[in-house]
Amino acid sequence: MRLKEGSFLWYLYLDKTYCLLSVRNVKALMEYFHLLDVHGKNTLNDVLFYHFLHHVTDLKKREINLVFDMLDWNAVGEIGFEQFYVLVCILLAHQNHLEERFMYRHSRTVFGLLDLEGDQKISPENFEMYRFLFNIQKQELKDLFCDFDITGDRRLNYQEFKLYTIVRINKLQKRKEKTENAEREKKSLLIKKMSHQVHAS
Amino acid sequence: MEEKPSKVSLKPSDRHGSDKESKESLYSDIRDLWTTATLSQSELNTPLSDVCGNFDAEGRSISHTRGWYGQGRRSLDEGDKASRKLRRSSSMEINEGKEDTASEIKAEKSSSTSSLDIAKHIPHRAYWAEQQNRLPLPLMELMENEALEVLTEALWSYRLGIGRDHLLTQELQQYIEGLKKRRSKKLYLIEKDTLGSGRPEPAQCHDRSPNPSLTPSE
Repeated sequence: MRLKEGSFLWYLYLDKTYCLLSVRNVKALMEYFHLLDVHGKNTLNDVLFYHFLHHVTDLKKREINLVFDMLDWNAVGEIGFEQFYVLVCILLAHQNHLEERFMYRHSRTVFGLLDLEGDQKISPENFEMYRFLFNIQKQELKDLFCDFDITGDRRLNYQEFKLYTIVRINKLQKRKEKTENAEREKKSLLIKKMSHQVHAS
Repeated sequence: MEEKPSKVSLKPSDRHGSDKESKESLYSDIRDLWTTATLSQSELNTPLSDVCGNFDAEGRSISHTRGWYGQGRRSLDEGDKASRKLRRSSSMEINEGKEDTASEIKAEKSSSTSSLDIAKHIPHRAYWAEQQNRLPLPLMELMENEALEVLTEALWSYRLGIGRDHLLTQELQQYIEGLKKRRSKKLYLIEKDTLGSGRPEPAQCHDRSPNPSLTPSE
């Protein structure tokens, strides 16, 4: 899932700590939303939503419809600005490789989106439908339910989901630290080599 | 478990291509600026003229600032108009239900002027860095063009789905026409202003030609 280069959303970005838009960006986004709000109801219907997402991303029709169903949490057939904002944050998090951080920071919101039945639990089938939004591989999803389904009911409650996001962000940080350490070591070795050469000459 | 602050280093190739490394470092700098900047609502509602010394009281730009953008004379004025329009639209939403909030904001504004002076540098830098390196100007034009493309495609779906004579289809069609008129009026005024002042026209005006895909066929 990629944002179309040069589109309006492509120019926005999330704060990398809190994974939210700046107020200025939100204001611009609000203006953009109102431009698309043709019928003056502060909402986008499914047709407008489809064409918007089709225009700015490379998502397929089936995926766009799934996203609409997920965001239409009141089942009114329309998307308000609040849902639109969440969608934009998810798109930008995916675009900027901040999925882990976004899920960690906004675990309650993401859990609420994936809890399609409203029974405070996420089934593997539902998570499978939406894993493309959060860049989760198939095997990773299987491992997730294997490792974090502590209650053994083959579904994730919020605590289990939150634990998963914590572990995932922890792994990410460790990976980054490893890479940074490796780079630092390389640099120090290079400096040592150069200083040896200088002394030798 | 609290998250340790860590740097998220985005590989340029993962984002916009390997030839944009310098922009990537600017992106991360801007994000750091925004994270550290503490902007209150009153500060955001402060007109640009108060934040940046290059504007006069009405928010009109002074000519030497146009060099900031390096792209025609519209950009800064349009950026001002865009930001004022955004503030207006957001303030309209506030006023709709909560009249006290407006008076509270005014009171906050006056008391926060001194704090604005002190904190001016950090958000000021972040704002102008963002203006120069992230959001394109004129922003409104980009948004309107894109919205127009999306809505024109939607119009086809409306016609196929519910027919040309349906109220919603006609509403959408009228909206698109209104948007196009507003856009062409803006262009006309800009060109008139440009020709009148004797300045060279910006490159984008020359390049603009009616996009056939945006013209709905009758």
